[in-house]
Amino acid sequence: MTERNSTNVSLDELLKKAFADDLPADVAAGMRERVERFREAKTGSASAAPGRSAAWGWIFRRSVWAAISVLLLAAGILLQGRGSSSPLAERISAIKTQYASLGTTRR
Amino acid sequence: MIESAKTSAKGRAVFRWFFAAAFVFAVAASGLFTGLMNTAGLFYLVFGSAAAALMGFTGREIAMAFRYAAGHAPETEGLGKSAYFWQAAARNAWILGGLGSALNFMIALSRESAGIADVSNRMIQSLIVMLYGLVLAVVCLIPWMKLAGQAERTRLSEEGRPSSEAGSRPGAAGRAIDRIIGYILFVAVLALTVVFVIKGQPRSGDLSIGKLLLHWPAYLVVLGGAIALAIFVGAGAGARAWTLGFAMTGLVSLLMGLIQGLFGFVHRNVGEIASAVAFIISASSLTLLGLIAVAGPREDREVMEGRRERPGPLSRLFWVLLPLLTFIFLVLTFIMVVTPMKQKGSP
Repeated sequence: MTERNSTNVSLDELLKKAFADDLPADVAAGMRERVERFREAKTGSASAAPGRSAAWGWIFRRSVWAAISVLLLAAGILLQGRGSSSPLAERISAIKTQYASLGTTRR
Repeated sequence: MIESAKTSAKGRAVFRWFFAAAFVFAVAASGLFTGLMNTAGLFYLVFGSAAAALMGFTGREIAMAFRYAAGHAPETEGLGKSAYFWQAAARNAWILGGLGSALNFMIALSRESAGIADVSNRMIQSLIVMLYGLVLAVVCLIPWMKLAGQAERTRLSEEGRPSSEAGSRPGAAGRAIDRIIGYILFVAVLALTVVFVIKGQPRSGDLSIGKLLLHWPAYLVVLGGAIALAIFVGAGAGARAWTLGFAMTGLVSLLMGLIQGLFGFVHRNVGEIASAVAFIISASSLTLLGLIAVAGPREDREVMEGRRERPGPLSRLFWVLLPLLTFIFLVLTFIMVVTPMKQKGSP
Protein backbone atom coordinates (compact mmCIF):
# COMPACT_ATOMS: atom_id res chain seq x y z
CA MET A 1 0.00 0.00 0.00
CA THR A 2 2.77 2.38 1.03
CA GLU A 3 4.78 1.43 -2.01
CA ARG A 4 1.79 2.23 -4.31
CA ASN A 5 1.27 5.64 -2.69
CA SER A 6 4.87 6.55 -3.22
CA THR A 7 4.58 5.56 -6.92
CA ASN A 8 1.50 7.79 -7.30
CA VAL A 9 3.28 10.70 -5.71
CA SER A 10 6.25 10.35 -8.06
CA LEU A 11 3.89 10.12 -11.07
CA ASP A 12 2.08 13.26 -9.91
CA GLU A 13 5.32 15.11 -9.72
CA LEU A 14 6.34 13.90 -13.15
CA LEU A 15 3.01 15.11 -14.63
CA LYS A 16 3.32 18.49 -12.90
CA LYS A 17 6.78 18.93 -14.38
CA ALA A 18 5.71 17.81 -17.86
CA PHE A 19 2.60 20.04 -18.00
CA ALA A 20 4.02 23.03 -16.18
CA ASP A 21 2.80 25.37 -18.94
CA ASP A 22 -0.73 25.72 -20.39
CA LEU A 23 -2.04 23.00 -22.76
CA PRO A 24 -1.10 23.38 -26.43
CA ALA A 25 -3.86 25.26 -28.32
CA ASP A 26 -4.83 22.35 -30.64
CA VAL A 27 -5.06 19.90 -27.74
CA ALA A 28 -7.23 22.34 -25.77
CA ALA A 29 -9.51 22.89 -28.80
CA GLY A 30 -9.85 19.14 -29.33
CA MET A 31 -10.72 18.60 -25.66
CA ARG A 32 -13.27 21.43 -25.72
CA GLU A 33 -14.88 19.91 -28.82
CA ARG A 34 -15.11 16.48 -27.23
CA VAL A 35 -16.65 17.90 -24.05
CA GLU A 36 -19.17 19.79 -26.16
CA ARG A 37 -20.12 16.68 -28.10
CA PHE A 38 -20.50 14.74 -24.84
CA ARG A 39 -22.78 17.45 -23.41
CA GLU A 40 -24.94 17.53 -26.58
CA ALA A 41 -25.34 13.78 -26.56
CA LYS A 42 -26.45 13.89 -22.93
CA THR A 43 -28.77 16.87 -23.09
CA GLY A 44 -30.00 16.51 -26.70
CA SER A 45 -29.78 20.24 -27.34
CA ALA A 46 -29.93 22.33 -30.52
CA SER A 47 -27.93 20.09 -32.85
CA ALA A 48 -30.36 17.18 -32.33
CA ALA A 49 -33.20 19.20 -33.83
CA PRO A 50 -32.34 18.68 -37.56
CA GLY A 51 -32.07 14.92 -36.99
CA ARG A 52 -35.43 14.90 -35.24
CA SER A 53 -37.10 16.87 -38.02
CA ALA A 54 -35.59 14.51 -40.61
CA ALA A 55 -37.06 11.58 -38.69
CA TRP A 56 -40.45 13.31 -38.60
CA GLY A 57 -40.16 13.96 -42.34
CA TRP A 58 -39.44 10.30 -42.92
CA ILE A 59 -42.42 9.22 -40.82
CA PHE A 60 -44.58 11.78 -42.61
CA ARG A 61 -43.51 10.45 -46.00
CA ARG A 62 -44.19 6.90 -44.89
CA SER A 63 -47.61 7.78 -43.58
CA VAL A 64 -48.43 9.66 -46.79
CA TRP A 65 -47.43 6.60 -48.79
CA ALA A 66 -49.44 4.35 -46.49
CA ALA A 67 -52.53 6.56 -46.91
CA ILE A 68 -52.13 6.73 -50.71
CA SER A 69 -51.69 2.98 -51.00
CA VAL A 70 -54.75 2.24 -48.84
CA LEU A 71 -56.77 4.73 -50.92
CA LEU A 72 -55.61 3.04 -54.16
CA LEU A 73 -56.57 -0.36 -52.77
CA ALA A 74 -59.99 0.82 -51.62
CA ALA A 75 -60.63 2.62 -54.94
CA GLY A 76 -59.71 -0.52 -56.89
CA ILE A 77 -62.00 -2.75 -54.83
CA LEU A 78 -64.88 -0.24 -55.06
CA LEU A 79 -64.48 0.19 -58.82
CA GLN A 80 -64.41 -3.56 -59.39
CA GLY A 81 -67.30 -4.15 -57.00
CA ARG A 82 -69.47 -1.58 -58.80
CA GLY A 83 -68.81 -3.40 -62.05
CA SER A 84 -66.90 -0.61 -63.79
CA SER A 85 -66.18 -1.58 -67.36
CA SER A 86 -63.01 -1.27 -69.39
CA PRO A 87 -62.29 -1.81 -73.12
CA LEU A 88 -60.84 -5.22 -72.23
CA ALA A 89 -63.96 -6.23 -70.25
CA GLU A 90 -66.19 -5.04 -73.11
CA ARG A 91 -64.21 -7.14 -75.59
CA ILE A 92 -64.46 -10.20 -73.33
CA SER A 93 -68.18 -9.53 -72.96
CA ALA A 94 -68.53 -9.51 -76.77
CA ILE A 95 -66.68 -12.81 -77.09
CA LYS A 96 -68.79 -14.35 -74.32
CA THR A 97 -71.99 -13.20 -76.06
CA GLN A 98 -70.70 -14.77 -79.30
CA TYR A 99 -70.23 -18.06 -77.45
CA ALA A 100 -73.70 -17.76 -75.89
CA SER A 101 -75.32 -17.18 -79.29
CA LEU A 102 -73.40 -20.17 -80.65
CA GLY A 103 -74.89 -22.32 -77.87
CA THR A 104 -78.40 -21.04 -78.63
CA THR A 105 -78.01 -21.68 -82.39
CA ARG A 106 -76.87 -25.25 -81.74
CA ARG A 107 -79.96 -25.90 -79.62
CA MET B 1 -1.99 -35.87 -64.23
CA ILE B 2 -3.69 -32.75 -62.84
CA GLU B 3 -3.80 -31.24 -66.35
CA SER B 4 -5.56 -34.30 -67.80
CA ALA B 5 -8.10 -34.28 -64.91
CA LYS B 6 -8.85 -30.60 -65.64
CA THR B 7 -9.29 -31.32 -69.36
CA SER B 8 -11.62 -34.21 -68.56
CA ALA B 9 -13.72 -32.00 -66.21
CA LYS B 10 -13.99 -29.33 -68.92
CA GLY B 11 -14.96 -31.98 -71.46
CA ARG B 12 -17.72 -33.25 -69.17
CA ALA B 13 -18.97 -29.67 -68.63
CA VAL B 14 -19.04 -28.99 -72.39
CA PHE B 15 -20.90 -32.26 -72.90
CA ARG B 16 -23.48 -31.28 -70.24
CA TRP B 17 -24.07 -27.90 -71.90
CA PHE B 18 -24.32 -29.54 -75.29
CA PHE B 19 -26.89 -31.93 -73.83
CA ALA B 20 -28.88 -29.03 -72.30
CA ALA B 21 -28.82 -27.13 -75.63
CA ALA B 22 -29.97 -30.26 -77.46
CA PHE B 23 -32.79 -30.68 -74.92
CA VAL B 24 -34.02 -27.10 -75.45
CA PHE B 25 -33.68 -27.43 -79.23
CA ALA B 26 -35.62 -30.72 -79.19
CA VAL B 27 -38.45 -29.15 -77.16
CA ALA B 28 -38.60 -26.11 -79.49
CA ALA B 29 -38.35 -28.21 -82.67
CA SER B 30 -40.98 -30.69 -81.54
CA GLY B 31 -43.29 -27.71 -81.06
CA LEU B 32 -43.06 -27.03 -84.80
CA PHE B 33 -44.73 -30.34 -85.57
CA THR B 34 -47.24 -30.46 -82.74
CA GLY B 35 -48.60 -26.89 -82.96
CA LEU B 36 -46.81 -25.91 -79.75
CA MET B 37 -44.60 -23.30 -81.42
CA ASN B 38 -44.79 -19.68 -80.28
CA THR B 39 -41.89 -17.73 -81.78
CA ALA B 40 -42.76 -14.46 -80.04
CA GLY B 41 -43.01 -16.35 -76.73
CA LEU B 42 -39.61 -17.97 -77.26
CA PHE B 43 -38.00 -14.61 -78.08
CA TYR B 44 -39.65 -13.01 -75.04
CA LEU B 45 -38.53 -15.77 -72.69
CA VAL B 46 -34.88 -15.95 -73.80
CA PHE B 47 -34.25 -12.19 -73.93
CA GLY B 48 -36.54 -11.50 -70.98
CA SER B 49 -34.51 -13.95 -68.87
CA ALA B 50 -31.28 -12.18 -69.88
CA ALA B 51 -32.79 -8.80 -68.94
CA ALA B 52 -34.13 -10.14 -65.63
CA ALA B 53 -30.68 -11.53 -64.79
CA LEU B 54 -29.12 -8.09 -65.42
CA MET B 55 -31.74 -6.43 -63.18
CA GLY B 56 -30.59 -8.46 -60.16
CA PHE B 57 -26.96 -9.32 -60.90
CA THR B 58 -23.92 -7.55 -62.30
CA GLY B 59 -22.36 -8.62 -65.60
CA ARG B 60 -19.35 -9.87 -63.65
CA GLU B 61 -21.48 -12.07 -61.38
CA ILE B 62 -23.31 -13.51 -64.39
CA ALA B 63 -20.02 -14.25 -66.18
CA MET B 64 -18.66 -15.94 -63.04
CA ALA B 65 -21.81 -18.11 -62.74
CA PHE B 66 -21.40 -19.20 -66.38
CA ARG B 67 -17.70 -20.00 -65.81
CA TYR B 68 -18.56 -22.17 -62.79
CA ALA B 69 -21.35 -23.93 -64.68
CA ALA B 70 -18.98 -24.65 -67.56
CA GLY B 71 -16.32 -25.96 -65.18
CA HIS B 72 -13.86 -23.17 -66.06
CA ALA B 73 -13.38 -21.85 -62.51
CA PRO B 74 -11.35 -24.29 -60.43
CA GLU B 75 -11.19 -21.99 -57.35
CA THR B 76 -14.04 -22.31 -54.83
CA GLU B 77 -14.46 -18.60 -54.06
CA GLY B 78 -17.96 -17.39 -54.97
CA LEU B 79 -19.30 -20.89 -55.60
CA GLY B 80 -22.36 -20.39 -53.36
CA LYS B 81 -23.27 -17.12 -55.04
CA SER B 82 -22.92 -18.60 -58.51
CA ALA B 83 -25.24 -21.40 -57.41
CA TYR B 84 -27.71 -18.75 -56.21
CA PHE B 85 -27.56 -17.05 -59.63
CA TRP B 86 -28.78 -20.24 -61.32
CA GLN B 87 -31.56 -20.62 -58.77
CA ALA B 88 -32.64 -17.04 -59.48
CA ALA B 89 -32.42 -17.64 -63.25
CA ALA B 90 -34.75 -20.65 -62.88
CA ARG B 91 -37.13 -18.53 -60.81
CA ASN B 92 -37.05 -15.75 -63.43
CA ALA B 93 -37.79 -18.19 -66.27
CA TRP B 94 -40.76 -19.66 -64.37
CA ILE B 95 -42.23 -16.25 -63.46
CA LEU B 96 -41.60 -14.90 -66.98
CA GLY B 97 -43.44 -17.92 -68.37
CA GLY B 98 -46.49 -17.08 -66.25
CA LEU B 99 -46.29 -13.39 -67.11
CA GLY B 100 -45.89 -14.11 -70.83
CA SER B 101 -48.92 -16.40 -70.80
CA ALA B 102 -51.06 -13.82 -69.01
CA LEU B 103 -50.02 -11.00 -71.38
CA ASN B 104 -50.58 -13.18 -74.46
CA PHE B 105 -53.98 -14.21 -73.08
CA MET B 106 -54.93 -10.58 -72.54
CA ILE B 107 -53.85 -9.62 -76.09
CA ALA B 108 -55.72 -12.64 -77.52
CA LEU B 109 -58.94 -11.51 -75.83
CA SER B 110 -58.49 -7.85 -76.74
CA ARG B 111 -58.18 -8.34 -80.53
CA GLU B 112 -61.02 -8.57 -83.03
CA SER B 113 -61.86 -12.24 -83.50
CA ALA B 114 -62.44 -14.01 -86.80
CA GLY B 115 -64.80 -16.41 -85.10
CA ILE B 116 -64.97 -18.49 -81.94
CA ALA B 117 -62.43 -21.06 -83.11
CA ASP B 118 -59.89 -18.29 -83.83
CA VAL B 119 -60.07 -16.63 -80.44
CA SER B 120 -60.05 -20.00 -78.62
CA ASN B 121 -56.99 -21.02 -80.60
CA ARG B 122 -55.19 -17.78 -79.65
CA MET B 123 -56.08 -18.19 -75.97
CA ILE B 124 -54.68 -21.73 -75.87
CA GLN B 125 -51.58 -20.68 -77.85
CA SER B 126 -50.79 -18.14 -75.14
CA LEU B 127 -50.39 -20.92 -72.55
CA ILE B 128 -47.40 -22.32 -74.50
CA VAL B 129 -45.14 -19.57 -73.08
CA MET B 130 -45.62 -21.16 -69.65
CA LEU B 131 -44.34 -24.46 -71.04
CA TYR B 132 -41.23 -22.70 -72.40
CA GLY B 133 -40.71 -21.05 -69.01
CA LEU B 134 -40.86 -24.43 -67.28
CA VAL B 135 -38.34 -25.98 -69.70
CA LEU B 136 -35.91 -23.06 -69.26
CA ALA B 137 -36.34 -23.22 -65.46
CA VAL B 138 -35.45 -26.94 -65.49
CA VAL B 139 -32.34 -26.22 -67.60
CA CYS B 140 -31.25 -23.51 -65.12
CA LEU B 141 -31.88 -25.79 -62.14
CA ILE B 142 -29.27 -28.30 -63.38
CA PRO B 143 -26.21 -26.04 -62.79
CA TRP B 144 -27.83 -24.82 -59.55
CA MET B 145 -28.04 -28.38 -58.18
CA LYS B 146 -24.46 -29.13 -59.25
CA LEU B 147 -22.96 -25.91 -57.84
CA ALA B 148 -25.05 -25.94 -54.64
CA GLY B 149 -23.77 -29.45 -53.88
CA GLN B 150 -20.16 -28.36 -54.48
CA ALA B 151 -20.65 -25.22 -52.37
CA GLU B 152 -22.05 -27.29 -49.50
CA ARG B 153 -19.08 -29.68 -49.62
CA THR B 154 -16.63 -26.74 -49.74
CA ARG B 155 -18.37 -25.05 -46.82
CA LEU B 156 -18.17 -28.22 -44.70
CA SER B 157 -14.48 -28.79 -45.52
CA GLU B 158 -13.58 -25.15 -44.84
CA GLU B 159 -15.66 -24.79 -41.67
CA GLY B 160 -13.68 -22.87 -39.07
CA ARG B 161 -11.52 -21.06 -41.63
CA PRO B 162 -12.20 -17.39 -42.36
CA SER B 163 -14.80 -17.05 -45.09
CA SER B 164 -13.63 -16.00 -48.55
CA GLU B 165 -17.11 -16.08 -50.12
CA ALA B 166 -17.49 -12.32 -50.22
CA GLY B 167 -14.93 -11.95 -53.02
CA SER B 168 -14.29 -8.64 -54.72
CA ARG B 169 -17.46 -6.63 -55.16
CA PRO B 170 -18.07 -4.26 -58.03
CA GLY B 171 -18.62 -0.61 -57.17
CA ALA B 172 -22.07 0.94 -56.73
CA ALA B 173 -21.73 2.73 -60.08
CA GLY B 174 -21.05 -0.55 -61.91
CA ARG B 175 -24.05 -2.20 -60.26
CA ALA B 176 -26.31 0.73 -61.14
CA ILE B 177 -25.26 0.68 -64.82
CA ASP B 178 -25.95 -3.07 -65.08
CA ARG B 179 -29.36 -2.63 -63.47
CA ILE B 180 -30.30 0.27 -65.75
CA ILE B 181 -29.28 -1.78 -68.81
CA GLY B 182 -31.33 -4.69 -67.43
CA TYR B 183 -34.47 -2.57 -66.97
CA ILE B 184 -34.14 -0.91 -70.40
CA LEU B 185 -33.67 -4.32 -72.03
CA PHE B 186 -36.66 -5.72 -70.13
CA VAL B 187 -38.96 -2.89 -71.25
CA ALA B 188 -37.70 -3.25 -74.84
CA VAL B 189 -38.31 -7.03 -74.78
CA LEU B 190 -41.85 -6.55 -73.42
CA ALA B 191 -42.66 -3.90 -76.04
CA LEU B 192 -41.20 -5.94 -78.92
CA THR B 193 -43.08 -9.07 -77.77
CA VAL B 194 -46.38 -7.17 -77.73
CA VAL B 195 -45.60 -5.85 -81.24
CA PHE B 196 -44.75 -9.38 -82.50
CA VAL B 197 -47.90 -10.88 -80.98
CA ILE B 198 -50.17 -8.12 -82.32
CA LYS B 199 -48.64 -8.40 -85.80
CA GLY B 200 -50.01 -11.89 -86.28
CA GLN B 201 -53.52 -11.05 -85.04
CA PRO B 202 -56.46 -9.00 -86.38
CA ARG B 203 -56.85 -5.34 -85.36
CA SER B 204 -58.86 -4.29 -82.31
CA GLY B 205 -60.83 -1.40 -83.80
CA ASP B 206 -59.94 2.21 -83.06
CA LEU B 207 -58.64 1.62 -79.53
CA SER B 208 -54.89 1.46 -78.94
CA ILE B 209 -53.42 -1.67 -77.38
CA GLY B 210 -52.39 0.38 -74.31
CA LYS B 211 -56.00 1.31 -73.58
CA LEU B 212 -57.17 -2.25 -74.18
CA LEU B 213 -54.65 -3.72 -71.74
CA LEU B 214 -55.56 -1.34 -68.93
CA HIS B 215 -58.16 -2.62 -66.49
CA TRP B 216 -57.72 0.05 -63.81
CA PRO B 217 -59.39 -1.65 -60.81
CA ALA B 218 -56.92 -4.56 -60.97
CA TYR B 219 -53.90 -2.28 -61.22
CA LEU B 220 -55.13 -0.10 -58.35
CA VAL B 221 -55.72 -3.11 -56.09
CA VAL B 222 -52.35 -4.75 -56.81
CA LEU B 223 -50.28 -1.55 -56.62
CA GLY B 224 -52.07 -0.18 -53.56
CA GLY B 225 -52.02 -3.52 -51.74
CA ALA B 226 -48.37 -4.22 -52.50
CA ILE B 227 -47.19 -0.77 -51.35
CA ALA B 228 -49.39 -0.90 -48.22
CA LEU B 229 -48.14 -4.35 -47.21
CA ALA B 230 -44.49 -3.46 -47.91
CA ILE B 231 -44.84 -0.33 -45.74
CA PHE B 232 -46.60 -2.13 -42.90
CA VAL B 233 -44.12 -5.03 -42.87
CA GLY B 234 -41.36 -2.43 -42.44
CA ALA B 235 -37.82 -1.80 -43.57
CA GLY B 236 -36.44 -4.61 -41.37
CA ALA B 237 -37.83 -7.25 -43.71
CA GLY B 238 -35.98 -5.65 -46.65
CA ALA B 239 -36.87 -6.95 -50.10
CA ARG B 240 -38.97 -9.77 -48.62
CA ALA B 241 -41.62 -7.17 -47.79
CA TRP B 242 -42.07 -6.47 -51.54
CA THR B 243 -42.31 -10.17 -52.39
CA LEU B 244 -44.91 -10.62 -49.66
CA GLY B 245 -46.74 -7.44 -50.74
CA PHE B 246 -47.08 -8.37 -54.40
CA ALA B 247 -47.74 -12.06 -53.75
CA MET B 248 -50.43 -11.59 -51.09
CA THR B 249 -52.20 -8.87 -53.08
CA GLY B 250 -52.03 -11.07 -56.16
CA LEU B 251 -53.58 -13.99 -54.27
CA VAL B 252 -56.36 -11.79 -52.90
CA SER B 253 -57.03 -10.35 -56.38
CA LEU B 254 -57.22 -13.78 -57.99
CA LEU B 255 -59.72 -14.98 -55.39
CA MET B 256 -61.74 -11.76 -55.66
CA GLY B 257 -61.96 -12.13 -59.42
CA LEU B 258 -62.94 -15.80 -59.21
CA ILE B 259 -65.70 -15.13 -56.67
CA GLN B 260 -67.04 -12.25 -58.75
CA GLY B 261 -67.00 -14.44 -61.86
CA LEU B 262 -68.94 -17.19 -60.08
CA PHE B 263 -71.49 -14.62 -58.91
CA GLY B 264 -71.75 -13.50 -62.54
CA PHE B 265 -72.80 -17.05 -63.49
CA VAL B 266 -75.37 -17.11 -60.68
CA HIS B 267 -76.76 -13.69 -61.69
CA ARG B 268 -76.53 -14.67 -65.39
CA ASN B 269 -74.73 -11.38 -66.05
CA VAL B 270 -72.18 -11.47 -68.90
CA GLY B 271 -70.82 -8.02 -68.00
CA GLU B 272 -69.99 -9.15 -64.47
CA ILE B 273 -68.20 -12.26 -65.73
CA ALA B 274 -66.26 -10.22 -68.32
CA SER B 275 -65.21 -7.72 -65.65
CA ALA B 276 -64.06 -10.57 -63.37
CA VAL B 277 -62.06 -12.20 -66.18
CA ALA B 278 -60.39 -8.86 -67.04
CA PHE B 279 -59.63 -8.36 -63.34
CA ILE B 280 -58.04 -11.82 -62.94
CA ILE B 281 -55.82 -11.52 -66.02
CA SER B 282 -54.74 -7.91 -65.30
CA ALA B 283 -54.07 -8.58 -61.60
CA SER B 284 -52.03 -11.71 -62.25
CA SER B 285 -49.98 -9.87 -64.93
CA LEU B 286 -49.15 -6.96 -62.64
CA THR B 287 -48.38 -9.27 -59.70
CA LEU B 288 -45.90 -11.29 -61.73
CA LEU B 289 -44.43 -8.09 -63.19
CA GLY B 290 -43.93 -6.77 -59.65
CA LEU B 291 -42.26 -10.01 -58.56
CA ILE B 292 -39.87 -10.14 -61.53
CA ALA B 293 -39.03 -6.41 -61.80
CA VAL B 294 -39.21 -5.15 -58.21
CA ALA B 295 -39.11 -7.87 -55.55
CA GLY B 296 -36.86 -10.47 -57.24
CA PRO B 297 -33.94 -8.17 -58.15
CA ARG B 298 -34.01 -6.59 -54.66
CA GLU B 299 -33.82 -10.00 -53.00
CA ASP B 300 -31.00 -10.99 -55.38
CA ARG B 301 -28.98 -7.89 -54.43
CA GLU B 302 -29.43 -8.64 -50.73
CA VAL B 303 -27.99 -12.14 -51.19
CA MET B 304 -25.18 -11.10 -53.53
CA GLU B 305 -24.11 -8.23 -51.25
CA GLY B 306 -24.04 -10.59 -48.26
CA ARG B 307 -26.87 -8.85 -46.38
CA ARG B 308 -28.76 -12.16 -46.27
CA GLU B 309 -27.59 -15.72 -46.67
CA ARG B 310 -30.54 -16.77 -48.83
CA PRO B 311 -34.05 -15.57 -49.72
CA GLY B 312 -36.77 -16.26 -47.17
CA PRO B 313 -38.79 -19.51 -47.33
CA LEU B 314 -42.03 -17.54 -47.87
CA SER B 315 -40.47 -15.70 -50.84
CA ARG B 316 -39.41 -19.00 -52.40
CA LEU B 317 -42.88 -20.43 -51.87
CA PHE B 318 -44.52 -17.44 -53.57
CA TRP B 319 -42.09 -17.53 -56.51
CA VAL B 320 -43.20 -21.09 -57.24
CA LEU B 321 -46.86 -20.68 -56.32
CA LEU B 322 -47.86 -17.44 -58.07
CA PRO B 323 -46.98 -18.44 -61.69
CA LEU B 324 -48.64 -21.83 -61.10
CA LEU B 325 -51.79 -20.16 -59.77
CA THR B 326 -51.73 -17.74 -62.71
CA PHE B 327 -51.72 -20.71 -65.08
CA ILE B 328 -54.61 -22.39 -63.23
CA PHE B 329 -56.62 -19.16 -63.19
CA LEU B 330 -55.97 -18.57 -66.91
CA VAL B 331 -57.42 -22.01 -67.61
CA LEU B 332 -60.39 -21.14 -65.35
CA THR B 333 -60.95 -17.85 -67.18
CA PHE B 334 -60.80 -19.70 -70.50
CA ILE B 335 -63.57 -22.00 -69.21
CA MET B 336 -65.54 -18.95 -67.98
CA VAL B 337 -65.29 -17.32 -71.42
CA VAL B 338 -66.20 -20.37 -73.50
CA THR B 339 -69.05 -21.65 -71.28
CA PRO B 340 -72.30 -20.72 -73.04
CA MET B 341 -74.75 -18.94 -70.74
CA LYS B 342 -78.25 -17.58 -71.19
CA GLN B 343 -78.48 -13.88 -70.19
CA LYS B 344 -81.09 -12.90 -67.60
CA GLY B 345 -84.31 -11.92 -69.35
CA SER B 346 -83.40 -13.57 -72.67
CA PRO B 347 -85.83 -16.26 -73.99
